[in-house]
Amino acid sequence: MPILYLAALAVALTGMVVLDRRFRLFFWRDTRRAAIVLVAGLVFFLAWDLSGIGLGIFFRGETSFMTGLVLAPELPVEELLFLTLLCYLAMNLFGFLSRRSRGPATADARRSSRPSTADARRSSRPSTAASRPRGGGGPR
Amino acid sequence: MNYWQLNAIFLAAVAVTGCFALAKSRRAMPWLPIVGTLGILLLVTAVFDNVMIGIGLVGYDRAKISGAFIGIAPLEDFAYAAAAAVLLPSLWLLLPGRSREEP
Repeated sequence: MPILYLAALAVALTGMVVLDRRFRLFFWRDTRRAAIVLVAGLVFFLAWDLSGIGLGIFFRGETSFMTGLVLAPELPVEELLFLTLLCYLAMNLFGFLSRRSRGPATADARRSSRPSTADARRSSRPSTAASRPRGGGGPR
Repeated sequence: MNYWQLNAIFLAAVAVTGCFALAKSRRAMPWLPIVGTLGILLLVTAVFDNVMIGIGLVGYDRAKISGAFIGIAPLEDFAYAAAAAVLLPSLWLLLPGRSREEP
């Protein structure tokens, strides 16, 4: 199953994007800033990887779980997705925890406190949905 | 150069970026989110790095690692998680935000 690791990474990354979109954590919070942070992070970690590979500290394992496609000697294509996942997970967590610790008073949190996307779709006025308490599903 | 020496160079760059973010944010520095992100990333790394090494996705030159392990994952690998939890939020804080939003 040489596609297994790549597929697992793709599934996990898809999950990151879904969570980002649902809770406005990273790209859906500020697209320009997120793009810069993600690209800078990738460049940084790729430089770290390539340095380690160049120094012979670590290398691609002999396994049947990887496609065998490489971006550079000992740098499998899967590593690019792994580093993307690491960066995305870090910033999704940071975005989520930032919102929680800032409390619901900020505009950022109000925008994202819709009880569910279904509610938002049902409501023709986004402001009504946005004013409901988080997770409460409206008054009972 | 061994793995820790390599990490020291990259972690120094992370520390410098973190200091710039701290200088800019001062008392508004989001310590809790950064520490929370760090803790969760270290936990996730402990689980998945062991899996990744266990199924043979990556190998190490045993002469260039310290020999300290969490399970079968070299302790040095956790520097990646630490760097991600500090560098990326710091960059986010240093970049100007949208006008509608606080930095």
